[in-house]
Amino acid sequence: MTALAEGRVSAPARRRRRPFRWGPVGRFVGLAVIIVMFLGPIVWMVLASFKLNVQIYDSSQAIIFEPTLENYGTVFDPRRGNYLVYIWNSFFIAFMATGLSLVLAVPAAYAMSRFLMNKSATTVLLARIIPGVSLLVPWYYIFAQLRMTGSFLPLILSHMFVSLPLILYIMMSFFDQMPEELEESAQVDGLTPIQAFFRITLPLSISGIATATILSFIFSWNNFMFALVLAGPSTKTLPVAIFDFIGYASIDWGALMAASVVVTTPIMLIALFTQRYIVSGLTAGATKG
Amino acid sequence: MKYGSSAARVFAVATTAVVAASLVACSSDSGIDEGDSIEGTTIRVTLANHVWTETIKDLIPEFEKESGAKVEITQLAEDQLSDQYNVKLNAGTDEIDVLMYRPLQENKLFADNGYLANLTDQVEGDKEWDWSDFQEGPASLTTYDGEVVGVPIITERTVLYYRKDLLQAAGLEVPTTLEELEAAAKAIHEANPDVAGYVGRTGKSAAVTQLSAFLYSFGGDWLDGTDSLIGSDEAREAYKYYGNLISGYTNATVNPEMSWPEAFAVFQQGQAAFIADADSLYKNMTDPSQSTVADNVGFAAFPEGPAGSKPYNVAAWALAINEQSANKSGAWEFIKWATSKATSLEMAKLGVSGARASVWEDPTANADYPAELLEAIKVNGQNGVGYDRPLVIEVAKAREIVGEPIVVAIAGGDVDAAIDAADKAFGEFLLEDAE
Amino acid sequence: MTAVQNRTPRPAAQLPPRERLSRWANKNRKWLFAGPSMAFVALLLVIPLAWTLVLSLTDSKRSVRRPFDFIGLENYVEALTDTERFWPSVGRTLAFTGGALFFELILGMIIALLLWKPFRGQGLVRTIVLLPLVATPVAVGMMWRLLFEPNIGFVNEFLSWFGIPAQPWLADPNTSLATLTFVDIWQWTPMVALILLAGLTGLSEEPQEAARMDGANAWQRFWYVTVPLMRPVIIAAVLLRGIDALKTFDILYATKGKGGGAFHDVETLNVYAYGLSFDYNEYGLASAVLILFFLMILAIIWVIQMQRKATS
Repeated sequence: MTALAEGRVSAPARRRRRPFRWGPVGRFVGLAVIIVMFLGPIVWMVLASFKLNVQIYDSSQAIIFEPTLENYGTVFDPRRGNYLVYIWNSFFIAFMATGLSLVLAVPAAYAMSRFLMNKSATTVLLARIIPGVSLLVPWYYIFAQLRMTGSFLPLILSHMFVSLPLILYIMMSFFDQMPEELEESAQVDGLTPIQAFFRITLPLSISGIATATILSFIFSWNNFMFALVLAGPSTKTLPVAIFDFIGYASIDWGALMAASVVVTTPIMLIALFTQRYIVSGLTAGATKG
Repeated sequence: MKYGSSAARVFAVATTAVVAASLVACSSDSGIDEGDSIEGTTIRVTLANHVWTETIKDLIPEFEKESGAKVEITQLAEDQLSDQYNVKLNAGTDEIDVLMYRPLQENKLFADNGYLANLTDQVEGDKEWDWSDFQEGPASLTTYDGEVVGVPIITERTVLYYRKDLLQAAGLEVPTTLEELEAAAKAIHEANPDVAGYVGRTGKSAAVTQLSAFLYSFGGDWLDGTDSLIGSDEAREAYKYYGNLISGYTNATVNPEMSWPEAFAVFQQGQAAFIADADSLYKNMTDPSQSTVADNVGFAAFPEGPAGSKPYNVAAWALAINEQSANKSGAWEFIKWATSKATSLEMAKLGVSGARASVWEDPTANADYPAELLEAIKVNGQNGVGYDRPLVIEVAKAREIVGEPIVVAIAGGDVDAAIDAADKAFGEFLLEDAE
Repeated sequence: MTAVQNRTPRPAAQLPPRERLSRWANKNRKWLFAGPSMAFVALLLVIPLAWTLVLSLTDSKRSVRRPFDFIGLENYVEALTDTERFWPSVGRTLAFTGGALFFELILGMIIALLLWKPFRGQGLVRTIVLLPLVATPVAVGMMWRLLFEPNIGFVNEFLSWFGIPAQPWLADPNTSLATLTFVDIWQWTPMVALILLAGLTGLSEEPQEAARMDGANAWQRFWYVTVPLMRPVIIAAVLLRGIDALKTFDILYATKGKGGGAFHDVETLNVYAYGLSFDYNEYGLASAVLILFFLMILAIIWVIQMQRKATS
């Protein structure tokens, strides 16, 4: 995070000293290729979501065609399923999993950072490493014994299993870079260490927490495998609902693309407005050296 | 049970105790009581994406009004549905009351695992509902060890789809034998080099069900008890014929991983003259929004081979009750209603082919079907064999074994060697599967 | 770190209960803070891990509720001697991860270098680059499934404008794994690029300047100055991306279904274990494969960590 800030300051200075060697043309071409490569498929998916299946099948209508909202009508048709409910489910689960993970993981990250509990941190990070397939049957079995299946709880817990280590990881590298002097002087002023954490450290960690929150939300929103087996009729999430349009007797490509757009749009909008945080979260720890 | 070490024994005993306790806890309220009022109860039904499901959803409010019960539906695509069953039923869930499943693929496994409730008394007890009305082939598929464990809802048969315009241009009659079929495929391909004479499923596992009609019509079969029959001369001929039919009369490179959507796409775009596949998929061919040849599709009974015309006639989907369900009475009421004559008739009108003989005989039921298709379905229904794949417990594995020679046959490799290998592997598999 | 107390400590017994609790909490804050998280993860991790470990020593199949026998290491022997499914899956897992990482690093470095220096519209380009990596993987899988559709997909249509014949892409067992590696590269190069960019912007100027004084050209400065300085960042990117690439599931499942296609042509270890569990219902063997897979990931991480230690 600090690295990025430095970059912003020092880069213009560099520009004055030496012009880029590849020349503006090569640079322009490179950037154009990047934009087309990464944006092109997404644009095409959005276009396809406005086409009837016959139009998708017809290559002469690849780019110019008469758009239709029919696929979105299919996706939101209450007879087919209930996408508004799925959107809410995805949101609710991501929100709860992120919130509860923050409550558990932020203090833990602080303790692990300040007390240098590297072994404990590694243990928690095992959760990121274990193949998810090995968790499905045992989890479901346990949740079934506890009569919890069908509710949101198994989904929230399973998503927390992804969110918590992620938040822990981001916040640990955040606390690692945060000077301890402030907390110490707060304690001189009569605060207990716990008070110092809540009154001094936490308010200063807002940007780190924002980063962790956004990334945790995105990962939870995108999660497919846990929701695939743990979701019940009223707790189905969007990534699982995408498969609604792969039928026994046909694939409804138009609706499938519309459903994909519905799943990705909220998360891309979040990304647009919070890109600074996402970048710092993804690169957390990587640039410590 | 035998155990290796004492620690292992302790664990095993503990696990068994937990499992046993949970089984007892769950099954204490087992049994279906027709006298029970189901008013106010919730029936949790898990269904696959299918026209049948879309239709039943429209009808369910009626059932809810009549019975006073609430129906809660989970709807999933075929693969996700089977994944969920393999987690949920496996863990002994009571979250599911009624399940829609694929008898051909899962009946033996689920019944053998004890997932499915025994419905024998119920189906045989209700004369008005009339179990004997269900066609024998499909009904036999939902029976295990003499117990009825499911009720078929959707049936399908192999039908020969053909291009009327191409056939006419070539001056050919609709083929009635496999020899004529091959000759027609050849003639049409020679006259139209861009068109494949025949297209069909090519994927190892996916093609097995479509090969079955050819296999039976050549006089072959998959197995006899624990003996593999795919090494027989008849089976060899069927494999070779099927492979050559697909790869012999086309200029295009054959996509070796086609299931029905890919194979149908070729036909829908006018790039093939024939395809034999399930008749339940016919709307993909006749729907102009998907098919460029919608007006030119013809339907014919499966052509005769040396052993006659032997397409499959199977129950693709059935309804069953979860053995662990706490609301079995409600579940049975739902199944009884969903498979009643009235509901089946309603379904038939919307193009879902069911298993009730009386519905097939009802002229009002099938007004929507193309007349030619209806005729083909009737003929195929009479000739039909009740299974389209080896009926074993581990079906997925079996399909991969017996499907291997299909791939070799299409690719033009050494089919006999592939069959020898598959025959041996299949024999070993059958012994293990029967354990 | 010692907390500074400015109060005269009183014997605990004389304190009001609230105060006593506060002192106890502050004294034990290390575990009070870290404990709940660790307990949560342990609870959700240890039981399945133990379960998998035990099942891997049994012949459990068809249903986990059926009686099973302990058969020692037989499942491990079966997996490790299986050259038809297990070892090819290992190979595919490594090829997929290695191929994806290789191109993601090269392309990521190029993108990072292009974005290194500010220019007009940099924010826009950065945002666009960010989109693939936040997109839902299942949706990305569906999107590419249609794009690569041999008959109706836009990729073949695009190629035909240049007279290149249609390719089967995902449909052909020879090209499907490479195609999916491409999809992974599409989705995750941005992440690698952003990590490398953060590393680049953190580099100091002096070594570059010194190299320039010595007459090094742009390539030499990049290869002999920038890359060695970036080594820790590169290794971190490899670690972060590598773990997820090894465990890739969503896009494989969304495009090829269970079993990784008819020929198991995209069957990685994760997909294989999933198929063994939910298609073949061989829980004993599936568990053994999962344990081996887990050990493989741990071993790879260990090797990378050793590299990391060696550089720092």
